[in-house]
Amino acid sequence: MNSYRQKKPWHDLGGEKSGPVRPDQTDEPVFEKSWHKRVLGLTVAAGAMGVWSIDSSRFWRERLPKSDYQTFTYYEKWLAALTNLFVFKGLVTEEEVLKRNFDGPKQLLDSRVLRASEVPRMLASGSKTSRKSKQTPRFSIGDPVRTKKQKETLLRPFGHTRLPCYAADKFGTILFCHGNHVLPNSNAHFLGELPEPLYSVEFMATDLWPEDNLGLEDTVIVDCWESYLLSAND
Amino acid sequence: MYCRAMPHDSDEIHAHSLLPTEPELRVKALETILESKGLIDRKAVDAIIDMYENKIGPRIGATVIAKAWCDKYFKKKLVNNTKGILADLGFCGRQGEHIVVVENTPDCHNLVVCTLCSCYPWPLLGVPPAWYKSDSYRSRAVKEPRSILREFGLIVGKKTKIRVWDSTAEIRYLVLPMQPKSSFGIVEKDLVSWVTRNSMIGTGLPEDPAARL
Repeated sequence: MNSYRQKKPWHDLGGEKSGPVRPDQTDEPVFEKSWHKRVLGLTVAAGAMGVWSIDSSRFWRERLPKSDYQTFTYYEKWLAALTNLFVFKGLVTEEEVLKRNFDGPKQLLDSRVLRASEVPRMLASGSKTSRKSKQTPRFSIGDPVRTKKQKETLLRPFGHTRLPCYAADKFGTILFCHGNHVLPNSNAHFLGELPEPLYSVEFMATDLWPEDNLGLEDTVIVDCWESYLLSAND
Repeated sequence: MYCRAMPHDSDEIHAHSLLPTEPELRVKALETILESKGLIDRKAVDAIIDMYENKIGPRIGATVIAKAWCDKYFKKKLVNNTKGILADLGFCGRQGEHIVVVENTPDCHNLVVCTLCSCYPWPLLGVPPAWYKSDSYRSRAVKEPRSILREFGLIVGKKTKIRVWDSTAEIRYLVLPMQPKSSFGIVEKDLVSWVTRNSMIGTGLPEDPAARL
């Protein structure tokens, strides 16, 4: 248990001890600082170019070095991941980032760039992750399942997964089947969409945290791709 | 680019408050690089900000909830529907492509969190509030939801089951709160302002707007 906990990724917070939550006031602004807006706007606009997916964006935020992840504010994480992705895809150089400047002549707008007139339509349509596929779901609503260990769901060492540590290697029950969805474990690393059935799996809190939830019927629901799951009888 | 006020400046505090912060300078630098390289249309960035600052917010979600309270047929189609009914009604969009509405009842209270990042039904509620994105909420909601709810001033009886939805994937969850008895008989358009943002996340209940003033 302990050695496994030490390997837990630092963004994977579910079940950790932490201080009180501070509810906001109803008149709190949408953005606390004006640069927060720019980071959000740039991130959404850059994503619309289609060079990377939401899965890659998340992976690059979650895989910031531990000290950065734990000290950066929310939009600093976004900014760091966005900058790193631009460099990773070769659209911006490290030198330009460090010098905070591009020396060359101003370039024409790339054809992939989102235009202002396209923004309402882009935000309204979003980008669905459901895919038509002939793959028949292995599990049905009500089936008992067991989740794999978190490491067993990774397609790369220290790679991307949406199975939180606290819900790994646990027994649960299929609550919803959502059809086939893009697999983030692959898509985040530019390894293809590899869509597969996605389920909402319900876990009893007493199974997740036996020491804390005696006698309560509370549950936690986690969305799990089929490759995260085993039959409870396997 | 970045200058510090000298320690003996008489106006030290004021001078500091006017200095741009380091991330503010970095985002400006990145935006300038991207613009020079033709990788961003600044007007598109402005338009995105305007949408999230002024147009997309919890009032959209509240409209759906008020309709569900008033229209039994709509509510029946809405609850636990994983086929994207809201998309058919036009309530869909970026970061809310696959929305599932979960209903609070006397026997079950629903609470939404994202323990891995900050997934949230953006087209219905806008940008998530700071507490939703905080380490504390992300850490504790799945393990001790009743303590979290107490911090929001909400006590859920032991006979009521709590379902915590950890929205780790592209499925986003919206809570349909119970309609307060004191609002029965009010017309749909006036019910919208009873539906608070937190009541749609599960950390609050609908409120009489008159009592909020």
